[in-house]
Amino acid sequence: MFDRDKWLEILHTMVQNPLRTFLTGVSVALGIFILVVMQGMGFGLQNGVFQQIQNDAVNSIWVRNGQTSLAYRGLNPGRWVRFDNRDLNHVVQNIEGVAGYSGRVGIWNAQMTYGKETQNFGSRGIHPGNQELEMVELTAGRYINEGDLIEERKVAVIGKTIVDDLFRGKDPIGEYFTLNGVQFVVIGHFEDPKSRWENRQAYIPITTAQKIFGRSDALDMFVVSTGDLSFDETKRMAVDIENYLKERHNIHPDDNRAIRVTNNNEEFKTYLDVFVGIRMFIWVIGGFTLLAGIIGVANIMSIVVKERTREIGIRKALGASPFTILSLIIQEALFLTLVAGSFGLVAGVVLLEFAGDAVQHEYFANPAVNFAICATALAVLVVAGALSGLVPALRAVAVSPVEALRTE
Amino acid sequence: MEIFGAKVAVCLTKFESRALCSRVEAVTLVDRFMIELRNITKSYRTGKNAMQVLKGIDLDIAKGELVSIMGSSGSGKSTLLNILGLLDGHDGGTYRLDGMPMDKLDESTAAKYRSKFIGFVFQSFNLVGYKTALENVALPLYYQKVPRKERNKKALEYLRKVGLAEWANHLPNEMSGGQKQRVAIARALITEPRVIFADEPTGALDSVTSEEVMQLLKDVNREGITVVIVTHENDIAAQTQRVIRLKDGRIESSGEAEKIMHHV
Repeated sequence: MFDRDKWLEILHTMVQNPLRTFLTGVSVALGIFILVVMQGMGFGLQNGVFQQIQNDAVNSIWVRNGQTSLAYRGLNPGRWVRFDNRDLNHVVQNIEGVAGYSGRVGIWNAQMTYGKETQNFGSRGIHPGNQELEMVELTAGRYINEGDLIEERKVAVIGKTIVDDLFRGKDPIGEYFTLNGVQFVVIGHFEDPKSRWENRQAYIPITTAQKIFGRSDALDMFVVSTGDLSFDETKRMAVDIENYLKERHNIHPDDNRAIRVTNNNEEFKTYLDVFVGIRMFIWVIGGFTLLAGIIGVANIMSIVVKERTREIGIRKALGASPFTILSLIIQEALFLTLVAGSFGLVAGVVLLEFAGDAVQHEYFANPAVNFAICATALAVLVVAGALSGLVPALRAVAVSPVEALRTE
Repeated sequence: MEIFGAKVAVCLTKFESRALCSRVEAVTLVDRFMIELRNITKSYRTGKNAMQVLKGIDLDIAKGELVSIMGSSGSGKSTLLNILGLLDGHDGGTYRLDGMPMDKLDESTAAKYRSKFIGFVFQSFNLVGYKTALENVALPLYYQKVPRKERNKKALEYLRKVGLAEWANHLPNEMSGGQKQRVAIARALITEPRVIFADEPTGALDSVTSEEVMQLLKDVNREGITVVIVTHENDIAAQTQRVIRLKDGRIESSGEAEKIMHHV
C-alpha cells in the first residue's frame, strides 16, 4: 500500500496549488466539524434532559390517585379515590414482575425542631424499596429498613437541606429532633443532586407515618419497580395495576382521571425516540454539509484530471495501466478528504471538550462525541473521499491515450 | 523439429494465399517480422459522417529494421503510428507485433504490451514537467514495478548513454530541445523495448540537434531494436533503410530510401 512514488505524486499535486487544496480541505473539514459538533450538542441536550427525567428510576411505575369522572355502580362522579395498604399488598403479591415497591404517605409542612431551630420541611412515610425508586444518594448512616416498619420506629433519614439548615452542618446522626411534635432520631442523611425538593424531605417508616399522623392504612400513592422487564411487559404491568385498582375502587373502566398510572419506562422511551429523531436530523444536516465538501473535492479532482490529461496520456503511453491511473486519482481524493476531515474531526472534538464545560445548562450537560460517532464520521469520510475521486478517475481512465496526448 | 513443423503449420494457415510459402521461407517469415499488418482499416466518426483514415494497410516491418513513414498531413501516418504503438485500436484487419495478435485489445492489455515491448519518442518530447530528467527516464520502470533504487540506477545508466548523466537532476524546462529529446529517447529505451515508435522526433529541433537525435536513433537501431519514424522531412527519411509513403489512407509506395528519394 505504501508507495513512496505514489505519495510524492499525490503531495506534488496538493503543493502545486496550495490555495486550492487548502480551500477544498476547509470545506471538507468544516463539514465534518459541523457534523461532530452538532452530534456532540445533541448528546449534551440528551444528557441534560435525561438527567432531569432520571431523577427517578426509569424502570418504575408510579400510581397516583385522582377524582372519578364517570358514574359507576351507583356511585357519583367527583369522588376522590383513596389508596390503602391492601391496594399495594395486592399489587405486590399478585401482579407478576413487581421487583420492588414503596408506598408513600406525605406530611406537608412538617415542622421540625432541633435545639432552638424550628423550620418547615417535608416528610414522607416510605417503604425500604423507596431507596431504589427515588434514587437518592445516601451520604451517611443507613436507610429505612423492614425492622423500622415492623416496630414502627421513630427514625428518620433526612435530606441535605435539612442537615444544612436545621442541624447547621453538625453531624445529625443519632441526634433527636421533633417532627410535628413527635421526637425522631436521625439514622442517616442523603443527597439528591437533581432535585431541590427531595433534599428538603425527611423519610420515615411508612407504618410510623400512618400511625402517628392519623392516616390509619391510607397511602397517598405508591411506586413499583419493573425490574428488568421488557418494555412491553412493563406496559402490561401498568394496565394490570390500573385494572385491578379500578375494579377494587369501583371506577368505570373508561374513567381515566380517577387513577393515574405513569409508566416511567414509557416516558423514557418517548424521550429516547425523540433523541433518536434529533440525532438523525443532525446526521442529515451534517451529512449534507459534508456532502458539499465532498462535491468540492470531486470538483477539484476533476479539474486536476483535466489539467493533467496530457500527463495521464504520457503515463498511459509509458505503460501505466488503467488501474494505476484510477488508484492514483482516488488515493489523491482520499488523502485530501482524510487529512482535511481529520482536522475537522479533531477540531470538533477539542471544541466539545473545552467549550462543553463552559456551556452548562439545566437541560444541557457533558456534550461529547463517543467513539462510535467518530468512527462513523471517519468511515463516511473514507467512502465519500473515494466516491469523490471515483468519477474524475473514471473520466481520466476513459480518455484515450491518443486524445490525451493531443491536448495541450 | 517439432517446433519447426508447428511453425510451418501456423504459417500455412496465415499465409495460405501466398504462393511463396515454402517451408524454409515460412519459418523465416514468422521469425523475421516485428510488425505484420493485414488490411488494417480505421475510421473516425465526426458527427454523423465517418471519415475513413486508413483504407486497408498491408505492411511488414522486419526485426531490426529502421523504417520511416512519410506522407502529407491527413494521409493517415499519425493514425497508423498510433495503431502500431497500441495507443489507438484499429477497426478491421489484423496486427501482429512480434508474432502476437494485437487486435481488439482492452486498455489494460494494451498498457501491458506498451510497457513491455514499445518505446515512444514524440515530437513534443512529452516529458513530465515537474519530474527531473532522471525521474522521467525512470517512469516506465515504475509501471513495471521495478524497485526505486534499481530504477534510478538504470535511469542514470541510460542518461549516460544519451550523454546527459550530469543533467539527471534538471527539470525539462531547464534543458534545450535536443536534450529533452535525448531524455525522451533514454526513457523510451529504458524498458529495453522491441520496437521504438518516433512521431516526428526532430520536428521541433534545429538541423544540428536533429542530426544528433537521428544519430542516436540509428545507434539504437544498430543495437537491434526496430525503429519506426514518422516524418515529413526527406533528409530524415533518407537516413532510414526503407521509406513507406502513405497517401489517402493507403500505402503509395514502399522501398529503399535511396530509390524513393530519387523517385520524388
